[in-house]
Amino acid sequence: MKSLYFILGVVLFLSGCSEHLVRVMPYEKEYFAQDKMSLSPIGERAEQEGHIFLIREASAGGDSSFQGGCGCR
Amino acid sequence: MKKLLLITLLLTLNLFAAPRVGDSEVAFTLPNLYNESTNLTSSSLRGKIVLLNLWASWCSGCQEEMPLFVNLQKEYPKEQFEIVLSSIDSESSFAKEFLATVDKQKVLTSLYDESKSLPKAYRCPGMPSSFLIDKNGKIVDVYIGSLDDVAIEKLKAKIAELTGK
Repeated sequence: MKSLYFILGVVLFLSGCSEHLVRVMPYEKEYFAQDKMSLSPIGERAEQEGHIFLIREASAGGDSSFQGGCGCR
Repeated sequence: MKKLLLITLLLTLNLFAAPRVGDSEVAFTLPNLYNESTNLTSSSLRGKIVLLNLWASWCSGCQEEMPLFVNLQKEYPKEQFEIVLSSIDSESSFAKEFLATVDKQKVLTSLYDESKSLPKAYRCPGMPSSFLIDKNGKIVDVYIGSLDDVAIEKLKAKIAELTGK
């Protein structure tokens, strides 16, 4: 009997971690799919901002992990 | 007492199970996308093979497969095989705008599910999701994600199998 109560308790406890409670379901992602939700919503603007960043920092490649940003390229 | 608890537990777990292949379809009554004053019920589709597609205009996979569905529907009379779209867009105009670009002749039966009742009932793990339903309302196949040309050919073979042609 105790084991049944234990199982019941575990099921109830784990149901708290149900993906329906903690995860945004695929059919609920309408607002995530909007352009404004992307990290760089306007491609041209992101490019321009990158260019300004390079000028301001006086370094080429410093905006990515590929180059060190030392300006010696 | 133990048996009763065990049965209750199993029944409770069963409540959370998503409909699978072999199960009956989820019954619905949804308004037509183009004319929301008219409803379509799932029972009215009995006697024909149905591909129920849960989609949204904001879902890129849904957009990709839609032209394939239009072509597929044109190959079959609706009395035999019908593609039923159920849009879950927040506004029906979004779905209409997109369909106007791919389904100008309104070949596809389009419904509007504002409350997202069908994806909730089917517990869709992805968008789009499609369900092939036989003449008796049983789920024959489940497709998670968009269908490509290869998948459409397999679907045609399945339809031929179900119609016996």
